[in-house]
Amino acid sequence: MAEEQLPLRAIRARVRASRGLTTMIIALAAVLLAGLLFAPSSVSWGALQGALPFAAVLAIVALGQTLVVMQGGIDLSVAGAISLGVVIVSHEAYGDNARLLPAIALALLAAVLAGVLNGILVALLRMNAIVATLGTNALLYAVVLGISGGTPRQTTSLMAHIAGGTLLGVPNSIYVAVVVLVVVTLIVKRTVSGRRFEAVGANPRAARIVNINVQRHVAMAYVGAQVLYWVGAVLLAGIINKPSAFQGDTYLLSSVAAVVLGGTSLLGGRGYLVESALAALFLTQLEQLVLALGASYAVQTLTQAVAFAVGVALYTIPWSELRALVRRRRTRSAET
Amino acid sequence: MSDEVTTVAVEPLLRLEGITKTFGGVTALSDVTLDIRPGEVHALLGENGAGKSTLVNIAGGILQPSMGRILYDGKEVPHLTPSHASALGIAVVHQHPALLPDLTVEENLRVALPALFDDGTRTGSKARELLSVVGATCHPKDRVGALDLAERHLIELAKAFAVKPALLILDEPTAPLGPDATERLFALVREAAARGTAVVYITHRLAEVREIADVVTVLRDGRLRGTFAVDRITDAQLLSLIVGRDFASTFPPKRAAIADESTETALSVEALSGPRFSNVSFSMARGEIVGLFGIVGNGQSEILRALAGIGPSRGTVVINGERCSARRRRQLCAFIPPDRKAEGVFNGLSVRENVTLAALGRIESRGLVSRRQEREALLEVMSVLAIRAPSTDAPIEALSGGNQQKAVFARALLAKPAMLVADEPTQGVDVGARAEIYQLLRQLADEGVLVVVASSDAKEIEGLCDTVMVISRGSVIDVLRGDDVTEERIVTSALRATGHAATSSARGRASGATRLRRFLEGDYAPVFVLSLAIVVLGAVVFGRNHRFLEPFNLTSLLMSLAALGFIAAGQTAVLMTGGIDLSVGPLAGFVVVVGSFFLTEGFSVGSVILGFVLMVVAAAGTGLVNGGLIRGARFTPVAATLGTYIALQGLGFLLRSSPGGYIASSITGPIKHTVGAVPVVFIVLLVLTIVMELALRGSRLGMVLRGVGSDIESTRRLGVRVGATVVSAYVFGSLLVLLGGVVLLAQLGVGDASQGVGYTLSSISAVVLGGTSLLGGRGTFVGSLLGAALIVEMLNSTVFLNLSQTWQYLFQGLVILVAAAVYSQARRRV
Repeated sequence: MAEEQLPLRAIRARVRASRGLTTMIIALAAVLLAGLLFAPSSVSWGALQGALPFAAVLAIVALGQTLVVMQGGIDLSVAGAISLGVVIVSHEAYGDNARLLPAIALALLAAVLAGVLNGILVALLRMNAIVATLGTNALLYAVVLGISGGTPRQTTSLMAHIAGGTLLGVPNSIYVAVVVLVVVTLIVKRTVSGRRFEAVGANPRAARIVNINVQRHVAMAYVGAQVLYWVGAVLLAGIINKPSAFQGDTYLLSSVAAVVLGGTSLLGGRGYLVESALAALFLTQLEQLVLALGASYAVQTLTQAVAFAVGVALYTIPWSELRALVRRRRTRSAET
Repeated sequence: MSDEVTTVAVEPLLRLEGITKTFGGVTALSDVTLDIRPGEVHALLGENGAGKSTLVNIAGGILQPSMGRILYDGKEVPHLTPSHASALGIAVVHQHPALLPDLTVEENLRVALPALFDDGTRTGSKARELLSVVGATCHPKDRVGALDLAERHLIELAKAFAVKPALLILDEPTAPLGPDATERLFALVREAAARGTAVVYITHRLAEVREIADVVTVLRDGRLRGTFAVDRITDAQLLSLIVGRDFASTFPPKRAAIADESTETALSVEALSGPRFSNVSFSMARGEIVGLFGIVGNGQSEILRALAGIGPSRGTVVINGERCSARRRRQLCAFIPPDRKAEGVFNGLSVRENVTLAALGRIESRGLVSRRQEREALLEVMSVLAIRAPSTDAPIEALSGGNQQKAVFARALLAKPAMLVADEPTQGVDVGARAEIYQLLRQLADEGVLVVVASSDAKEIEGLCDTVMVISRGSVIDVLRGDDVTEERIVTSALRATGHAATSSARGRASGATRLRRFLEGDYAPVFVLSLAIVVLGAVVFGRNHRFLEPFNLTSLLMSLAALGFIAAGQTAVLMTGGIDLSVGPLAGFVVVVGSFFLTEGFSVGSVILGFVLMVVAAAGTGLVNGGLIRGARFTPVAATLGTYIALQGLGFLLRSSPGGYIASSITGPIKHTVGAVPVVFIVLLVLTIVMELALRGSRLGMVLRGVGSDIESTRRLGVRVGATVVSAYVFGSLLVLLGGVVLLAQLGVGDASQGVGYTLSSISAVVLGGTSLLGGRGTFVGSLLGAALIVEMLNSTVFLNLSQTWQYLFQGLVILVAAAVYSQARRRV
């Protein structure tokens, strides 16, 4: 079907699978299938129960990173932010269930402040996102060490029960992740502000021309991201028995990897939220598979690097142009 | 055409024969033949879009003709490239100068004219000499980005005249120039012609043709209209050749003649001034379409932007009786931008999202976008404007130019504006869509929307507008109404304008940059700030604890600095090109792991050499992979180096899952060797930094490196192989990281794959502190070294001040943020 006059029924909105969605579903299916065939322990109920909570946290954090990447930025303060959330919840509450709620609220306050700081630096002062969030990350770690002194503490039994428990056999954290995903998707894809938000990411100059406040939307990306990191951190504080003060460090690379694999461009623009969450699930399950195969941490990391590179190349390399080029070469050589 | 030049006494230097050029089905030039003779000034006349610039680009080797031959000095040139053209002695001065904004004037001259600066004369005086030829008043040390348009154009002219070309092509050289500079340019052109240079002079102004040219060629619609001796043809004859092109589009009928004079004034603009325009006043009645016509770049775009409240302006704008601020105008007006790709469409978003974006307020219910109302809005607007697309959910970039433009118009319609301001409304639009757009504009005007249009197409203005304001050099020079709105009147009025740009005020501080100002805007201000901070911090710590400066601590400080300093230098080389290398940390750790297999106690000399060779291979390979992914596979620098980051970590652990392989003391000893309290490796770092700094400033390679980061397109136009430059920067950067890894190897004494990772973030911190811009183009190796020094000193001093780790992080965070904020604010004012 070439371009043609639009029949009116075509105006009806259609849900179409993005390239990222197809890629991620295939990748996830492949990893599960490979697990079934070669390492059944990786897809055993016990292994899944152990891995899924971490996949849930990574998915939530990756959603936050997606918001920032949609605005052409990158958030390096994700490490400090998660570490801070974990430390506030576990240290302030320190085994006392009654103090859990205030501790969680305090962590939220810290997250919003960090997001506002990033927002001001990037949107108002037009600082480079890498530099701004690098600086904020150091400040967040200063607070982390100020509170914890670097020593881990246990969280409360209630938190462990909520975050680590299961409902109908499924880890609670998965329910949280699904709810978060639905809420974020609704806000970004269905609300008026979400529409504008996506437009600012796609082309800030054009957004300015249609009278959209570009700076406010860019700043909101950083605040929203911090709130999502906070959700992830609170869960993490319950999932891990004795969280360290540097619990967030692993999320820096893996969150960016999940966003990129999901298909959101590092140059900004349309955000692929479900895809980011699925990519988080994929990365976690890939790790499980490689572990179950008895491979070392090294092989596990290398597998991630390859998956990441292949994923990016799927989006960046103009495959159709290459195919056309090869075809032309072939016909030319056939002629001569 | 009996008036055609018949004197063929002199053989042509350049002959363009039967040149045809098509761009994806659109013919820009068809069968044009042109002879350029030495000693002759040959003017090229024609309207906007007549094909003049295409012809120039073909003569300069920038474009290849689709058909036809190029003969130079009687010999056919089969495939002309820019570097080949300049080797033949062809110099082109483009409308948009190929300059590198982050480099100084002198450096720009040196990059463009390497041969001229090789003779050992002092570059400063040489540059001043070249600049004085064209009468440029800027200082050789001024940063080009800080200069105004006229001054930049003079530099471009200086470059062309400096090479004493055999053929000089000037594309509208006087457009941004004031009267004095124009006079001087004319004198230079005459002088060059007298020396025997062939000159092609493109212009819109008849007066200039009379003043300078011997021969004139007129182009229209990409076709040759004839070549004449200037003194044998009248202005009227020339004008009749320029205008009157065929126009396939049909225009809607104009507004019926205004019966009574009392038609209400719906828009009045008084004394509107802003950048590139001044004192514009006019009023328009409801139902009218007002057009702005001018040669491109005379301020019409800026006037439209000011009207729509998007561009900066002073003055009064009253819409429907309401005096409107710029903010209010943004709410009332819809603006159709001239560059659709840059400002019109939201690539990646669907047609539906693109169209309804400005009307979201109307189709929401309780904060959510109502699908039903959105559909209705789409139906409503699509019944007026038929957008051809596979579906409204197709991405906007999948549509043809005309349909994209219709989508932009549809968005404006849905916003229900009181005023529609359109800059080049049919640029890159096919004939069918043009007619639809004209129809729509007329319909809107009939419905009472105020429609203001600017176009560089006089025929379009004639067909569409009721009132036309002719703009030249930022002012309204003529107003045409009713029957006077004819293409001929419009073009005559614009071409006859002889006024010059009001440069006295616009030139600003082109020449007035003081020494202090140049320093503050320069790359070395951070160096002094950092030095001061390092000394002050050192003094404070020493005051509290004298052991801070004891040899033992000094040595360990400088060792740490050596490791971070080398790695930061590597990061600097990459950042200079506008990239970033996240893999530096893992790479530093990885080379230590590689070394730990060969440099251990009891190994032979051969294996030690092999170890070092493999370390070099690892580093160079990493650089190649990074550069290859970025230039070859189009990865963003962050994505590419993030991939190698993870891979290097994996490889490190693959080789050594736990720390092992103790480095022989015969290896670590020499690396740790000190002269007094100062480690030798630090001295090496210091010397290397100074050498690299001098190369960065003084060598063409260094300038090219900064040029790539500053403006990659201009650098390419100057004949630099930008891809190879970027890849080399990553390889060079990785080799510097290798040196940092060697220092780390001595410090750790053991292969440990978990070490090194932290250097990624601290190297970026050091480089940012040193004032290198993450946007590329500017920075210093010395600054990065000092940034590294400050970080290492801070970390060390907290120990002596008895401060906890909290303070280490706090200081680091604050220092980075404050430095970045200060630098970015200081430079934005430029």
